[in-house]
Amino acid sequence: MFVWQNRRKQLLQEIETHLEIETQRNIEAGMPPEQARRTAKKKFGNALLAVEQSRRVWGGLWLENLLRDVRYAARSLGAVPGYTTTLVCTLMLGLGCVTAMLAIVQSVLLRPVDLPHPERLVQIYTEDAPQGFSAGPHALSYETIDALRRNTNSFAGVSGYNLMMRPVETADGARVGPLMEVMPGFFQTLGVSPKLGHLISPEDARIPVAVVSDEFWRDRLHGSPKALGKAITISGKLWTVIGVLPRGFHPPQTTGGPIVYLPVSLDRSGQDEFQNESAAVIGRLKSGISMQQALADSQSVLAHAGRTDAEKHRHLVMRSYSDLVTGDMRMPLGALLGAAFVLLLIACANAANLQIGRTASRMPEMRIRSALGAGFPRLMQQLVIENILVSLLGAALGCGLSYAAVAVVRHAYANKYPRFDELSIHPLVLAAAGILAVGVGVVASVAPALSIRLHTIGRFAARTATRRSRLPGLLVAAQVALTCVLLATSGLFVRTLRSLETVKLGFDPQGVTTLVLMPENQQQDPQLSREIETRLLHRFENLPGIQSVTMQTEIPFSDYNVALYGTTDVAGRPYHQGDSAYYSFVSTNFIKTSGIHLLGGRGFQPGDEASGAIVALVNEAFVKKFLGGRNPLGVSLGFHTDPGDTAADLPFRQPMTVAGVVQNELQGGDLGAPYEPMVYLDYLQLPKSSFLSAVFSMSAQYAARSALPPATVAAELRAVVKEQAPTMVEMSLAPMKERIAQSLSQRRLALRLAAGFGMVALILSAVGIYGVLAYSVALRRREIGIRMALGSSRERAAGLVIGQAGTMVLLGLVPGLPGRGLPVMQCDRSCMESRRWMRLPLLLPAAYCCLYVVSPRPSQRYVRLGSTH
Amino acid sequence: MQGTLDLLILQTLAAGRAHGHAIACSIERRSDEVLQVGHGSLYPALQRLLKLGLIAAEDGISENNRKARFYGLTAKGRKKLLAEASKWQRFSEAMARILAPVVEESS
Repeated sequence: MFVWQNRRKQLLQEIETHLEIETQRNIEAGMPPEQARRTAKKKFGNALLAVEQSRRVWGGLWLENLLRDVRYAARSLGAVPGYTTTLVCTLMLGLGCVTAMLAIVQSVLLRPVDLPHPERLVQIYTEDAPQGFSAGPHALSYETIDALRRNTNSFAGVSGYNLMMRPVETADGARVGPLMEVMPGFFQTLGVSPKLGHLISPEDARIPVAVVSDEFWRDRLHGSPKALGKAITISGKLWTVIGVLPRGFHPPQTTGGPIVYLPVSLDRSGQDEFQNESAAVIGRLKSGISMQQALADSQSVLAHAGRTDAEKHRHLVMRSYSDLVTGDMRMPLGALLGAAFVLLLIACANAANLQIGRTASRMPEMRIRSALGAGFPRLMQQLVIENILVSLLGAALGCGLSYAAVAVVRHAYANKYPRFDELSIHPLVLAAAGILAVGVGVVASVAPALSIRLHTIGRFAARTATRRSRLPGLLVAAQVALTCVLLATSGLFVRTLRSLETVKLGFDPQGVTTLVLMPENQQQDPQLSREIETRLLHRFENLPGIQSVTMQTEIPFSDYNVALYGTTDVAGRPYHQGDSAYYSFVSTNFIKTSGIHLLGGRGFQPGDEASGAIVALVNEAFVKKFLGGRNPLGVSLGFHTDPGDTAADLPFRQPMTVAGVVQNELQGGDLGAPYEPMVYLDYLQLPKSSFLSAVFSMSAQYAARSALPPATVAAELRAVVKEQAPTMVEMSLAPMKERIAQSLSQRRLALRLAAGFGMVALILSAVGIYGVLAYSVALRRREIGIRMALGSSRERAAGLVIGQAGTMVLLGLVPGLPGRGLPVMQCDRSCMESRRWMRLPLLLPAAYCCLYVVSPRPSQRYVRLGSTH
Repeated sequence: MQGTLDLLILQTLAAGRAHGHAIACSIERRSDEVLQVGHGSLYPALQRLLKLGLIAAEDGISENNRKARFYGLTAKGRKKLLAEASKWQRFSEAMARILAPVVEESS
């Protein structure tokens, strides 16, 4: 550009010399100087035209025009800072949200896992309900895994793992942390190699060795290379550290952190060190084998190798490793990305609207340029460049915004969601944002360009000063409709959070402190554990200020719940496939401590264990499923026996008698989960011979109700444990309220993002409506002036404008209100929450009241203007 | 006629380097049609020839002590001039031949 300008200057200089010589000549010929100059100029012709034509010869005209347009755009935008700021902010919000969401989706869902050939990794699981003690809802028994490993041809490797929380003792002391039991070949299947030492190999299966994560090595073993060969104590046993994993390796279902890996070693009954009989399974496909082939292969193997009938009928499923890691995130993240795009659309409509308004005020300029010979494409180019400039600026700021947002999300959620520690903005995402920005720039300039074409070309060009365009109104209507959808979604999210906060828990968490203990030695005799735990229970009960204490295998929001899901026979009702209920073991004071409501019958009583029959409490969901219409009290229950089952397959054979019915209470830690049928049994009544007594040596969960401050209760409980049961390790001790808050905060990310998007959408459409009104009032200034002069009042004129705003909003609400149903349906399918939270508030009228607050402003301003006209 | 101006410029410069005004005057002397729209139309043609590398420009001082830009033929320009001139020569000879019989008939 600089070169061209120099050449241009040079050429002008040359022409000037030419004219001077000619003038001089004319003077010499006897003309007066003035006439001489005039004649010379006349002889030369149009100097500027000559320069322009020369300019064309130089080439690169398009580039110079482009640069000139950019400069012109920058200058003309600089002249209207208010407009430019609004426009840039609008686009920044729109593009920033999209970029941030794209970055999150790209890092979490699209970027391949950092393992060799991650596309060949699969998870093999079963969709049937788990039975007995299992590591997870999808686990397969060790025997099945072994059969799959030995008898299938499709896999380069099959291995299993179990994740649990256990006290791990190093030289510095014991701390509770995640522990992963892995079957031989686990690391080889994943394709991870050690950073130090070596990994657990099939030969290590019977030797107590351990591999630790990089974080564990740093935190607990001081990051020293000498850590190899040192011993750590887990479950009363010494394990030698033989390897350290590389940083950034996160096993499935974890978000990293200090993890210890131990080899699975099975005893004669098929149980491992931690009483698990099953594990979650991963496999690596051989190259060229599809998932379908591998699945068919595994199913046929399983059909021939099943241990029991039940296992034979289990239905195997396979999904990709990335589904295992982030499959749950797909729907919510997809929905949020969709919401961000809707937001971008709104921002785009806004930009178009603001530009239509501005174009109206620039129409004289456009007309002059058109009259001077600028063709429509040239005007269009100018406009598009101006737009692209603005949207690129918006994109740049938006990217800054998304950097910040992604950093905040990564910082806040790195340990809560898988792969969130890998969040970053990939250059690809930036490129996509740039392309989007250019696209937005072009799209947003279509409408103003049309209006320019309408005004500068054709017969209407002359008198259109007060002609109103319908386009801005339609755009606002579309915006309002989209905002409706977004607001409905975010309102739904917010509402969900609210409902979750006030959810009917079924129990009273106020004043309840939960304590989880675990015997240091997992192999400890269950009978001994039982004695210790019962003794502790009695000591706790006698503490001053403690109202009541209960033990529970399943405490809401606890991470140490043991789920027993058993097929159940109800006397007087034929057994159907799928007649299963959850069993929870509690102690005598359960009802009093948890605050659960007794709806009928009685609770557990101290004398129950002496009587022969086992006393059971059932919940409402149980009554509904199994005892519809019958009087539940006195009904006899039992575990269902499949043909071929032996006594060892059943927890116990004794019948249970329903003594009372309690309210549904929340199960596990999922506030949105539906209530499942539940049977409560007394710990003390559990037959000694039952394999369930193993629960005693797994963990003991206590809930204590007290009016004392939680810190005091915690101190009292700790003191008792220290004195009475030094072999028990405290896994967690926290007020129930705190646990509920934690559980809620887990879901807050999506809620916060969606609610944020909704708010941004509302702001954007408010800005859009404001812009359109300002524009239309500017166009109608004369009309309003005349109305005022003819005696119309200020209020009436304002009414006119507000009426116009109302029409736009209503126009948008018509498609918007039914449209809000869409995200609701989507959410339902995505099972973000169960159906009970779907009641939608009528948020929208309230939201649009805000818009009405906005709309009078331009009207008043221009009404005032109008009256002075 | 297309190319006439270019040829005239080249022809003018064949005699030696000259500035814009001198070229314009020289052309004007030879043909009053080519520069009909004014001397200004000379300049885009000069730029075109510069770009094609047929002529070269340098700063100098004019006969009446003014800073001016002087144009001169390049080797390429000289070759081009020869080629064009002989082409025109052939063309005019052909035209002459075409037109000749008419002259004979009338005489």
